[in-house]
Amino acid sequence: MPNLQPYADPMYFVYLLIALVPLAVGLYFGKRINWYEVLVSLVFIFLMFDGDASHIHQGYALIVYIIWEALLVGWYTKYRQSKNSTPVFYIVTILSILPIVAVRIAGTGLFKPELSLIGFLGISYLTFRTVGMIIETRDGSIKEFKPMYYLRFVLFMPTLSSGPIDRYRRFIKDIEGVPDRATYLEYLSKAVKYLFLGFLYKFVLAHYFGDVWLPYCKSMALADPNHFWSWWLIPVMYTYGFDLFFDFAGYSLFAVAIGYIMGIDVPMNFNQPFRSKNLKDFWNRWHMTLSFWFRDYVFMRLVFTMMKNKWFKSRITTSNVAYVLNMLLMGFWHGLTWYYITYGLFHGFGLVINDAWLRYKKKHNVPHNKFTEGFAIFLTFNVVMVSFLIFCGFLDTFWFHR
Amino acid sequence: MTDKKKLWQIFGPVILAFGLIGLLFLLPFPLNHMSQQGLREASVSFSDDIIKGQGVKRAAFAKGEKFVPFFGSSELTRFDNMHPSVLAAKYHRDYQPFLMGKPGTEAMIHYMSMQEMQPALDHKKAVFIISPQWFTKDGVNAAFSTFYSPLQLTEWFLNMGKEPTATDKFMAQALLNQQPIKNNDFYARLLNEVKDGHSLSAADLSAIKFQNRILSREDELFTNYLGTNNWNKDVVKQGKKLPATYNESELDRLAVKAAQKETSNNNFQIKNSFYTQRVQPSLKRLKGAQTNFDYRQSIEYSYFQAVLQVFAKEHTDVLFIITPVNERWSNYTGLNQDMYQQSVAKMKHQLTSQGFNNIADLSKQGGDPYFMQDTIHIGWRGWLAADQAIKPFLSSPYQETHYQMNDDYLSQSWQNLDPSQQSMMSYN
Repeated sequence: MPNLQPYADPMYFVYLLIALVPLAVGLYFGKRINWYEVLVSLVFIFLMFDGDASHIHQGYALIVYIIWEALLVGWYTKYRQSKNSTPVFYIVTILSILPIVAVRIAGTGLFKPELSLIGFLGISYLTFRTVGMIIETRDGSIKEFKPMYYLRFVLFMPTLSSGPIDRYRRFIKDIEGVPDRATYLEYLSKAVKYLFLGFLYKFVLAHYFGDVWLPYCKSMALADPNHFWSWWLIPVMYTYGFDLFFDFAGYSLFAVAIGYIMGIDVPMNFNQPFRSKNLKDFWNRWHMTLSFWFRDYVFMRLVFTMMKNKWFKSRITTSNVAYVLNMLLMGFWHGLTWYYITYGLFHGFGLVINDAWLRYKKKHNVPHNKFTEGFAIFLTFNVVMVSFLIFCGFLDTFWFHR
Repeated sequence: MTDKKKLWQIFGPVILAFGLIGLLFLLPFPLNHMSQQGLREASVSFSDDIIKGQGVKRAAFAKGEKFVPFFGSSELTRFDNMHPSVLAAKYHRDYQPFLMGKPGTEAMIHYMSMQEMQPALDHKKAVFIISPQWFTKDGVNAAFSTFYSPLQLTEWFLNMGKEPTATDKFMAQALLNQQPIKNNDFYARLLNEVKDGHSLSAADLSAIKFQNRILSREDELFTNYLGTNNWNKDVVKQGKKLPATYNESELDRLAVKAAQKETSNNNFQIKNSFYTQRVQPSLKRLKGAQTNFDYRQSIEYSYFQAVLQVFAKEHTDVLFIITPVNERWSNYTGLNQDMYQQSVAKMKHQLTSQGFNNIADLSKQGGDPYFMQDTIHIGWRGWLAADQAIKPFLSSPYQETHYQMNDDYLSQSWQNLDPSQQSMMSYN
């Protein structure tokens, strides 16, 4: 059997789109053929994890993982129907993130590297969805556990490997119903547009930035006799930044488009992030489903807990601490390396500075016009690019030859 | 607006786009035109795409063009004032070398590349420079995937006769060992058929034909051969240093003069830049490092045989040039000269026994002053010596060929035959 990685090459789209035709015809005529959707999803998930030994191994890891998480969520939902103890909630949450924590620690190679074997492509996105469900169950927003719904949500095929991260209740509303014809036509029209925009992003622009220019800039930087600074780091920074955007945004467009064809209103992940006027604006436009997840489930709850327990007197300090912790956690999630963690701190403190500036601006009536706005966009863009240079790990290679 | 109309609005442009792409790829006439200047640049561009592709070769060797294919490897990239491309351009000879080769191109890569240029070889002349360095035990086709293209392979399938020949079967096996082919289920299946001596089914052939059509259009649209400026940078510039009229002894004097100036920083007569960059850093390590090099037993003899089969099939009139190593250098690295000469003798036996008699054997001249440009590549007076064979060969008209091919040269027993121990006489 061939191995098909999602959206990796043009043929994948041919196979997938042909397989989705019956589903789309059904939706057009107002019928959601659930069994067919599950079947197609299973086939394409199977094709992601078959082929060579390492893929098959990941497939088994996925199965074990999903059983573990389903049992946790299932048990907790049952428990929550009668009780609501905070320690139990924390224990369940910790147990649900245990697999990814183990994979991240193993990934450093410092401790039990063999644990990385429990990882698989997409584990972090499955974890986000599951943890989100546990938190909403605690809130009382999710009241019952339906195994089939859980599986369809967490394993939703178009977004399995790299998001976007949907929300359970929103998703379930979609699969329980059928979009009316006008809405579905709107979905199809967006899907076509996003697919072609995604082709441009991922197969043309990301190819040039990532496969052609970036390796060249990197090799020039490495060839620099000065091992602390090279002017070539600047083109490395920009080419990497654009590669990251076009690759990931292209991928996300594909996932959203396929979701639309399947009649699911998958949330968008990017909204012209390089037009952001400040860092806060940036995080409302970049990898949106991730940053909103962190906003809703980490930041807001941190602020709430800190205010409730009166850890700090000032509201400002409270939110600043929450920014830094929130972004630091996001850095840890990317992986336990100095550059991911620095990236997290960079953005955490960046948001603190950003907030301070916005307060200053309000208080002192700083002039605001087209030019200041243009400058703000320019500055934000470059600050973000610097953060990507940290994030990409090339500095690790450049300075420490790893 | 009705729903049907909306559907058209959504999918109409997509269908139209695919239709246009289909037209672009399937229209039966060529879409590009190669200018004289473009071809001239291509002839010295060393672009991988040219070896991979078909369009440039077809244009360069079309009727009325004076380009002659020069097959070889790294030595072709060693431009100096006596390089064949420089001499031909400077003295307005009625041929101009089209350089097919660069570091890494050995017989198997040429074999695949030749599949796309059969009209260029059909009853025409060619020059083939053999580097004995290719003839290592398992061959040196590490660069295969750099120069391979599916277009070559589809051409190979289409060039094949009804029944696979011994060469076809041998090459099918060799190709199946190569990563980019092994990983393609369709090609691997067909090659297994050929390897076992089966001819391809009509359905498979039409699939190949269709692919071939798409691939050759892709080649036509995307081959990049104008990215260099080698014609002006190397050919014209080097030519300016030469006298206006061809004069052998004057050229020899200039060759020595240039070589003296450019090999001043070492005692091996290796070009200064090459010496500082490639030799000096590991000079100590290289002393005696080549004592065990052996070119006498190698699978490359059979890849080379496959190339000869193409020449025989197309009745190509070929001049073979066998290159030496820099003797000053090989004395230092301990390369065995007897072994070298035995391997050359084996190559020459394979050639002459099958009727390939145009051979310029320069292999013994590696010690001549300023014959080599560096460790294993001829330069200055070496190019001039090659010219002594190239010039008369390409100035005379095409000679009808009479090759008598022998498939035994594809056998393992020939590959493994040690010319110092066994007689080559049973291979005739």
